Amino acid sequence: MTAGAVRKPRGVAPDRETGSARPPLAGLRLVRLHLASRRVPAALAALAACGVVLRVALHWHWDTYGALQLPLVFEAGAAAVIAVATASPLGEPERATGRWLPYLRLGAALALTAAAVGALAAAGTGAHLAGGNLDVLRNVAGLTGIGLLCAAVLGGSLAWAGPLGYMVVAVYALYAAWHGAALTTPWIWPARPPHDLGAALCAALVFAAGTVVITVRGASDSAGE
Amino acid sequence: MIAAGAPAASRPLRATRRPGLAAGRLLRLELRHNAMLWMLPVAAALFWFTAYRKSMALPPLWNLRAMTMQGPALLDFVSPVVGAAAWMGSREGRRHTTDLVAGTARPRWARQLATWAATTCWAVVAYLGCMGVLYGVTAQQAAWGGPLWWPAAVGAASLPALSALGFAAGTFFPSRFTTPLVAVAAFFALGFSTVPIHGSQSYWQISPVVAGPWDIGLDAGVGTFYHYLPDLPIAQVMFLAGLTVAVLGLMGLPAGSGGRWLRRSAAAITAAGLLAAGTAVALAGTGRLEAHGMIAIPALHDAASDQPIRYTPVCSHTAIPVCLNPAYTSYLPAVTAALEPVLGQVAGLPGAPVRISQAAATYQQGPGNSISIGMAGPPISSKPPVFHLVLPDQLPAPAMTTSELAAQLRSNAGLNIVANVIGVPRSGASQAQLAVMAALLKAAGRPVVIACTAGPGCQPGLSAPGTPAYAAAQRFAALSATARHAWLVQHMAALRAGQITLAQLP
Repeated sequence: MTAGAVRKPRGVAPDRETGSARPPLAGLRLVRLHLASRRVPAALAALAACGVVLRVALHWHWDTYGALQLPLVFEAGAAAVIAVATASPLGEPERATGRWLPYLRLGAALALTAAAVGALAAAGTGAHLAGGNLDVLRNVAGLTGIGLLCAAVLGGSLAWAGPLGYMVVAVYALYAAWHGAALTTPWIWPARPPHDLGAALCAALVFAAGTVVITVRGASDSAGE
Repeated sequence: MIAAGAPAASRPLRATRRPGLAAGRLLRLELRHNAMLWMLPVAAALFWFTAYRKSMALPPLWNLRAMTMQGPALLDFVSPVVGAAAWMGSREGRRHTTDLVAGTARPRWARQLATWAATTCWAVVAYLGCMGVLYGVTAQQAAWGGPLWWPAAVGAASLPALSALGFAAGTFFPSRFTTPLVAVAAFFALGFSTVPIHGSQSYWQISPVVAGPWDIGLDAGVGTFYHYLPDLPIAQVMFLAGLTVAVLGLMGLPAGSGGRWLRRSAAAITAAGLLAAGTAVALAGTGRLEAHGMIAIPALHDAASDQPIRYTPVCSHTAIPVCLNPAYTSYLPAVTAALEPVLGQVAGLPGAPVRISQAAATYQQGPGNSISIGMAGPPISSKPPVFHLVLPDQLPAPAMTTSELAAQLRSNAGLNIVANVIGVPRSGASQAQLAVMAALLKAAGRPVVIACTAGPGCQPGLSAPGTPAYAAAQRFAALSATARHAWLVQHMAALRAGQITLAQLP
């Protein structure tokens, strides 16, 4: 490859080297590059797929267990997708790139969470979604918080293990609620009613912790994945 | 390093090929660098939280614990195993090293199989470790019987299939999002695979989370008096093995997986796997609920399994011994304490049972998933008379504590024992029979609280306060135990024949 083959970056002003002015649209380009590095478009497609499959599944006839547990499975899937989307292909060197990175991480996490809640709530519109939209909001937020915390500890590539592991616990808690030995702790919030304040606070706390950690530290990934 | 510094080769390289050793080294490398290692704590923690705690909360009966464990244990492992396998399968694609490793000595398919095998090895080791703990603790607590291996075998056979599915998904769609999506999809498919089951002839029973007739709930009566039937587990293992082989063969089909012969072999293996899996599904569809509560598949059924299990019952040292299957030894004190007051009242009377014996429950398939469970034959049989009872635990019901079980026995079995001794018919009992029955139950410490004389749901033998029968019952119960017993011995035949009137009661 010759030097001439190197494409000149778009949006860079001719007088960049002098530092006299900010390049036009540089912020947008930064956002676009960050989203692309996190495969956010693919993540959005995956979240949309979760919503579509949930919508199709809601048309079927489910028994009581199925109706209660069905949304939780898709909420966990959406949260796992968001957690995996935090993985950076650049690894440690990216941390030295500038002060905007934490804001980009925060924005991406919040935007994907909002998209997940929107997709799943839209899937339940006009159908019987157990727990309703409030349940979707609480569960997706809490599960995403777990995923973000896992991304900070295990790395984005293995962050799916957190939401999916919690999903198994929550599915069991929903089952146990029907069989005497109910698990009533608010930390297993999917097993609590949608208007339960303690469960909502726990989910919010976990989401806040995950968001803060992923904003400040980012996912602990090595380059190359 | 300069060339001069390199030592000269002292001997020529050996040209001999040792494929077994090379495969072993490749497997060892994959074992050391496998994502499933990271998932082991997750799977173990989930197993402890759900399957282990759920099974250990049940009485120490092998059938209850093993069959209860099968589904939850598998659901605990499905996401970690499928996720780790998908992650390992997508490794070359994610790292863009597919072309780089294409030039290695081994065909691509062989390399993939080594990675899959390593992932599966870790999963199976973790699963067997969890099973070992659960079975080990149960072995220490169980009074009788041995481990049921088939539920554990179905779970162990599921892991290679799950691992293969995840690995294939990661191989064909090497994206970072494949892992969570395929892990969720596998959990969804497995967890909800029981929803379409309707009746004992459903093809969906092939799902490895199904350990017996579906929707029956906890049932301690299966696999205790009669052998645990391996028919359905055999079909499930056959299906899982076929699925594993088919998926692994599928990975050898794309161009670049190997040479022509290798790909043809892969195609043959895929076809064989699909054939085995399809046959297993068809076999599961021929299942039927047999009388002892298990699913029998005619083509796989061994008639020898229909014979009852021989055992020496454990009996109480009461006036009328209470004898249970030795698996229920831990129940004996509670059952004895519940029945002893009533047995003390009827012991020595003409027609009184010489023994209370636990009987096996019989099962009959109803419409849909409904199953009727009861006792075959009358409660009193043979000469000398033996009263047969089915413990509440053998009937479909939520898990109950020992005190709940004893309370249920007191109200049901106690009443039935007295009714059978006095000869109370299902309908048309005489007033004297009702009064004597109420008196004996009162003397046994069971208060007379139910007031009804006819109609559905009405228990016979108990009369309303203020009626002549009630007054006679109070009078008869006030007699001394010796006087009551003596009168009953003298007049039992007439009482059973309905020839005694209320006025004739002392």
